[in-house]
Amino acid sequence: MLVTRLWLADFRSYERLELDLSSGLTAIAGPNGVGKTNLLEAIGLLATLKSFRGAPVESLVRRGAAAAVVRAEGIRDDRDVLIELELTRGRTRAQVNRQRLRRARDLLGALRVTVFAPDDLALVKEGPSRRREFLDDVLVALDPGADRVVGEVERTLRQRNALLRQGHGRLDAAGAMTLDVWDSKLAQAGQELTERREALVGELVPLVGESYEILAGRRSDVAAVYQRSWSQVTLADALAEGRRDDVRRGVSQAGPHRDELAVSLDGLASRTEASQGEQRTLALALRLSGHRLVTDRLGEAPLLLLDDVLSELDPNRAAALLANLPPGQSIITTASGLPPAPGGGELADQVLAFTAPGVLA
Amino acid sequence: MSAYARPVEVLIDELGRLPGIGPKSAQRIAFHLLKVDTVDARRLADAIVAMKENVTFCERCYNVAEGANCAICTDPARDQSILCVVEEPKDIAALEKTGVFKGVYHVLLGVMNPLEGIGPENLKIRELALRVAAEDITEVILCTNPNLEGEMTAAFIASKVLAPFEVKVSRLASGLPVGGDLEYADELTLGRALEGRHGFS
Repeated sequence: MLVTRLWLADFRSYERLELDLSSGLTAIAGPNGVGKTNLLEAIGLLATLKSFRGAPVESLVRRGAAAAVVRAEGIRDDRDVLIELELTRGRTRAQVNRQRLRRARDLLGALRVTVFAPDDLALVKEGPSRRREFLDDVLVALDPGADRVVGEVERTLRQRNALLRQGHGRLDAAGAMTLDVWDSKLAQAGQELTERREALVGELVPLVGESYEILAGRRSDVAAVYQRSWSQVTLADALAEGRRDDVRRGVSQAGPHRDELAVSLDGLASRTEASQGEQRTLALALRLSGHRLVTDRLGEAPLLLLDDVLSELDPNRAAALLANLPPGQSIITTASGLPPAPGGGELADQVLAFTAPGVLA
Repeated sequence: MSAYARPVEVLIDELGRLPGIGPKSAQRIAFHLLKVDTVDARRLADAIVAMKENVTFCERCYNVAEGANCAICTDPARDQSILCVVEEPKDIAALEKTGVFKGVYHVLLGVMNPLEGIGPENLKIRELALRVAAEDITEVILCTNPNLEGEMTAAFIASKVLAPFEVKVSRLASGLPVGGDLEYADELTLGRALEGRHGFS
């Protein structure tokens, strides 16, 4: 969906805001604290029903207001689309073309976004949970039905771990029977999630390499390998073999929640060996590859939201990113302004300059 | 720093503990009761007390009962060989409304939920096994809710409890609401309905 117009009411710092968006690259400029990221957050919310900054939905309602409204008008398949979210404390309601959706979740898929945020560095630098989350996000973007498997695994694990902890290191016959049932569920859902992630990584790897090369301006050997947390043929076998240990420690040690996406650059583990600049470039390359895969598969580019990514890159890489933005609609926030276009002139099709919080020049 | 007279405050507090009633609803109900006749208020209070004093759980199936056994267990017209296993007595009410089921019930009084510390030993599962062993039961229908905990409880009963017995065990089907539209069904339900399709008769 191409977003042509955005309205905000009582969202974050905005009491009211209404603006038109270009179909190409829009730059949102202005000093810190004027609400640039809030705009991206609002658009992201329409796509995913959650804040990419991890803020709870209740906290997005402007202080003192009862409800926030985020509304976007756009075009999809040559037809006008109007999507709306109303956030009140404790409830989110969604509408498409003024028709209330039965569940807010049904809005997923109407608008797709890819977000590049400053803390994406963590995607490469920090522990494996960020990379698993990245894979799961791409899976859901490709197929909203994947959400079910992700949720099932998470819930089953929580129940299984609670059961393991209750035993305080031991398991009686009755407990073992109960564990059997949870294990068979975890084995089935966990195996499915693992296999889906592995298939996804297979598709992403060549795209990550290409994206890195474009940004870094040189050929590098980028490898991404999905590492299972178990070595047995099936997760069911792994759970059976690891049971005594799981019971003793009170945690589930095998399953998709312990798997890793190991990323390396020229043979060196990027999490520990790469420089911060390389890690940042790799993180961007990962996001970009997910974006390209979703574009190829669904035949429509997600809206790109780039939150303050330029300040973190050296001028060459920043220029390379902007010059090679994938086709489609993109919105970028910047405090320092965009570099000039290679041929001179403005790089952005549209510049929205904030002079003070909520005030456009 | 209570805003209301103490008795009102106490009632709001008590009402707020009920399932599905938040602070706002509790306040509204309390102020409504303040306005109604004393007779009406007493009737409500008496109804609550009478229920607590006179209603027990059926000794056989754990449905709510007045006396040792519930109305369904003592009904000679019910087929005693078909047993439907449900989570709560309120599920019996839902199934009874269908008018389709003529057998008897067994209420588990909950589902397996390790996070809340509920295991099979906290449910009426042992009692179910004893019934199946002692009574002349030919079929057990597992009617727990189609969510993770309900499915796991059904799987536990089928694989661990009923396996040694010669009874037919079935699970409630998942499918489409009657009178609904395919296009409004969620993918998961529609998928299950496809998997559970049956021959045209």
